[in-house]
Amino acid sequence: MAQDMPPKGGYEPVQYKRNLPAKGFRPGIMLLGMGAVMTYGWYKLIVGIREGNELAREKMWARIHLTPLLQAEEDRDQVRRYWADQAREKELMGENFKVYNSDRFVRPTYAVTPQPTK
Amino acid sequence: MSTRRPQFNQTVLIDTTPLPDDIPKVQEVGASSAPLLSASYFIGARCRDYNDDYMQCKNENPGRGEFECLKEGRRVTRCASSVIEDVNKHCLEQFTNHWKCLDNHNHQLWQCRPFEWRLNKCVFDNLKLEKKIPDQPQNVIPVEQRPQQIFADRKFRSIEGKPFVPGQEAKQ
Repeated sequence: MAQDMPPKGGYEPVQYKRNLPAKGFRPGIMLLGMGAVMTYGWYKLIVGIREGNELAREKMWARIHLTPLLQAEEDRDQVRRYWADQAREKELMGENFKVYNSDRFVRPTYAVTPQPTK
Repeated sequence: MSTRRPQFNQTVLIDTTPLPDDIPKVQEVGASSAPLLSASYFIGARCRDYNDDYMQCKNENPGRGEFECLKEGRRVTRCASSVIEDVNKHCLEQFTNHWKCLDNHNHQLWQCRPFEWRLNKCVFDNLKLEKKIPDQPQNVIPVEQRPQQIFADRKFRSIEGKPFVPGQEAKQ
């Protein structure tokens, strides 16, 4: 019996490579492009952060210039209330009691209601 | 200083007793936050020494500064009042425009640069007070003098004015 032999001229070449069209740029170009986009983004980000820092500095110094003014007003008001309170206590009790074992000024947690003044 | 906040019912707990007569009277500044922010650098320019004195006094009297530093506090308030008064006298329009802009823009200084440049120019011309932010890097334009602000909602147009640089009036 005759054996199965290869066809004359040999077999057709086997296609083992995929035949896909090359889409887009070469990988090297893509990498460069990505680097360029990222560099631009980082540049804008850093410029923005630096301007933000300067704006923060501006805001902070504005507040630094105002702090003594606001604090002085608050202190005067607190001292006024404290002395009024002391005078009221002296009038009612005859003497001032020392409630804290220190000379520091303590912001009052509770306050008595004074009589309505005219 | 105690950090406890007083629990006040403001409708009932109003104590109007004035300070004793041996304490000199001083008129409080009475400006709200936007005018204060607008004038802050001019207050800082004129009252730096008084402010430093007051803060030093507070620092040297820990816990007693409220009583010991009343004199320094009065000086601070008088100086700031004088600045606000002078700005109101000479630059009322620019000042009002700027702090109204600040009020409308969430107190963000970078939204109101054109108004600020006009105010800075007027104050520098009339009162010789200069807005200067300390500790800025030397190699860049100071942030308040940049013609465009990155964080601003809109671009400033050139007809709105140029950045005001003190001492460069002769060139322009």
